[in-house]
Amino acid sequence: MYLAPDGHEVEIAEAAGAFVAQALPIARLHTPGSADLAADARARFGEMGWFALAVPESGGGSGLSAVEHALFFREAGRQCAPVDLLAQCLAANLTGDADIVSGKQGVALLVADGATWRLIGAADSALALQVTRDEAVLYPLAGVTTTARPALDPANSLGVVSTLPDSVERLAGDHVWQFGQLGTAAMLLGVAEAALDLIVDYAKIRETFGRKIGSWQAVRHPCADLAVRIEAARAQLWYAAAATKEARADAATHLDVAKHLANCAALAATDTTIQLHGGIGVTDEHDAHLLLKHALLLSRLFGAKRALLGRVLHAGLED
Amino acid sequence: MDLHYTEADRDFRIRAREWLKANVPQAPRPAHGTAGAQFDRDWQRKLHDHGWAGVAWPQEYGGLGLSGLRQVIWYEELARAHAPHHINTTYVALMHAGPTLIARGTPEQKAFHLPRILSGEALWCQGFSEPNAGSDLASIKTRGRIEGDHIVVDGAKMWTTDAQYGDYQELLIRTDPASERHKGLTWVICDMKTPGIDIKPIRTMLQDDHVSMVFYDEVRIPLSNVVGEVGKGWSTALATLSFERGLGFIGDQLELYERVNRAIDLAGKTRIEDGRLAIEDDGVAQRLAAIKADCIAIRAMTLADIAETDRTGEPGPKGSMMKLMVTTTHKALSEVVGEILGWSFLEFDGDRAAYPWTYDYLWSWVFSISGGTNEIQREITADRVLGLPKAR
Repeated sequence: MYLAPDGHEVEIAEAAGAFVAQALPIARLHTPGSADLAADARARFGEMGWFALAVPESGGGSGLSAVEHALFFREAGRQCAPVDLLAQCLAANLTGDADIVSGKQGVALLVADGATWRLIGAADSALALQVTRDEAVLYPLAGVTTTARPALDPANSLGVVSTLPDSVERLAGDHVWQFGQLGTAAMLLGVAEAALDLIVDYAKIRETFGRKIGSWQAVRHPCADLAVRIEAARAQLWYAAAATKEARADAATHLDVAKHLANCAALAATDTTIQLHGGIGVTDEHDAHLLLKHALLLSRLFGAKRALLGRVLHAGLED
Repeated sequence: MDLHYTEADRDFRIRAREWLKANVPQAPRPAHGTAGAQFDRDWQRKLHDHGWAGVAWPQEYGGLGLSGLRQVIWYEELARAHAPHHINTTYVALMHAGPTLIARGTPEQKAFHLPRILSGEALWCQGFSEPNAGSDLASIKTRGRIEGDHIVVDGAKMWTTDAQYGDYQELLIRTDPASERHKGLTWVICDMKTPGIDIKPIRTMLQDDHVSMVFYDEVRIPLSNVVGEVGKGWSTALATLSFERGLGFIGDQLELYERVNRAIDLAGKTRIEDGRLAIEDDGVAQRLAAIKADCIAIRAMTLADIAETDRTGEPGPKGSMMKLMVTTTHKALSEVVGEILGWSFLEFDGDRAAYPWTYDYLWSWVFSISGGTNEIQREITADRVLGLPKAR
């Protein structure tokens, strides 16, 4: 029993953190047109094998587990990495296809929205992945008409698709869904941690009334409350990742709980960090709103509040 | 990262479950007075006689010497078996005084007190807070002047839980009259039968007398009862508080999950004003599910903390965060159950066994104030976890 990164997991998390911070620094989002995973960035992630962390070695992957997957996406979340990074990784796990694993072909994420679908990611991606609790389906995007919509979150393009072609790959079961839940929950944890870091760092230097704002209880106490919510979300994410890795019977419930806790932690942390920054927190040049907008998007993917809590209410757990 | 239990862990759980199933008292604990304290002593005595006392205490002091993880398993099984609540008159002895003596006591103090604590023979109470020193504990004024081989104590302590039933008290006093704040304090074992001690119970909103004010008039305590060094009591007191904030609420942390499931069952058979079952109300169902999710995460936090402590050997600074999480979740659960129960939530006579949900609701303030208020826990978190500039 151990519920924190350990041994080689620490090394992978550090390597992932350094790579994502260099390849997709959050500062990129202050330049217009930086949405989605560009082809060159995608190729670099593919070259380093990040899309295939959990793909079996026989399929050209690293043969690692749900745990390393979660550690990687926590680092991706800290930089507001685009959602197509996750779609690419899930498609690599689904197909093991060399062109997807290498990043040669791009994959966007498709989410049902009434009678149409929302496409999150580059509209010129080769493929789109739709994942539910029952199945994962991969569609070709060539020839598909996507109506672009203005995206609140600058990390990703947002489009609407009305008609889909036949799928090229379909896998029944919740394996891909579980990795999607873990990936989004981990990104939300990264967002929450980055938001708390922003305000804690600022509270150590900004002064009001002749004192550092971090010495006022009006700032200290909300920060402490966030630290608690984030600690809870982190512990539950590690539990869910280990439960998924070990294929425990209650893994699905732990993932639902982890996603719910991560949704709440990220939305609370981004809200509070903007408020406690004061005026500078609502400016476009600050990172705080980038984290908030990314949290809003991620909190709707792979389980939003109503569905998650509906399942948790009567779920049972193992010892 | 892994969730593995060893074969021995699993055996331990099964043995605990079976033993508790056969031995948990069927009669409810008497709500008041010495009968309640006797019930607690008897239950502790039974645990002791059957080899279940002091799961994580070192074997040389009569404990089972098992890991923190086994302690988690033990508390989970206690909660599952609806065993007597672990916060009772044995709590201070087992969760504060015992661990403090193990860490800082003399061989003589350990040999005398630890077996009595484990067997339920000796109950303890705490004497830290004062009428003018609660959250600001370092401003205590109760004096101890050293005369020969005794300390003579004068002053008053506040919020002493179960003072009437305590055989001994962990007493924090100022032995250097010229000292201020954290300096010049001494942590001493006070025998509650010593002449000069006067106990005045304080009626609380729970309609009980579980806390008291304690007055000391020329109370003579042998110097051999000092734990740690004379004048170094603050260090010993911090050790005591770290046990309380570290593992002191582990039982509550794990019991919350059982309790939220009981609340969900209750919502499934209780009708609300409009005739529907409470669970059919989306607002109630969603709040209960969110609280259940928090309870599941609290268990993950507990296991993460315990596993880290098992590895490093000492509790980290996360106890304050745990207490904030547990007390706020406890209160949220009490509030939603209050809505579910409607009028019957307003029936109460102070009996915990008869009116468990109303009692728990009222107790939620005791939980978020005692052992360091939630405001103090936020201060500790801001200082020690986040490294924010000091407020004072």
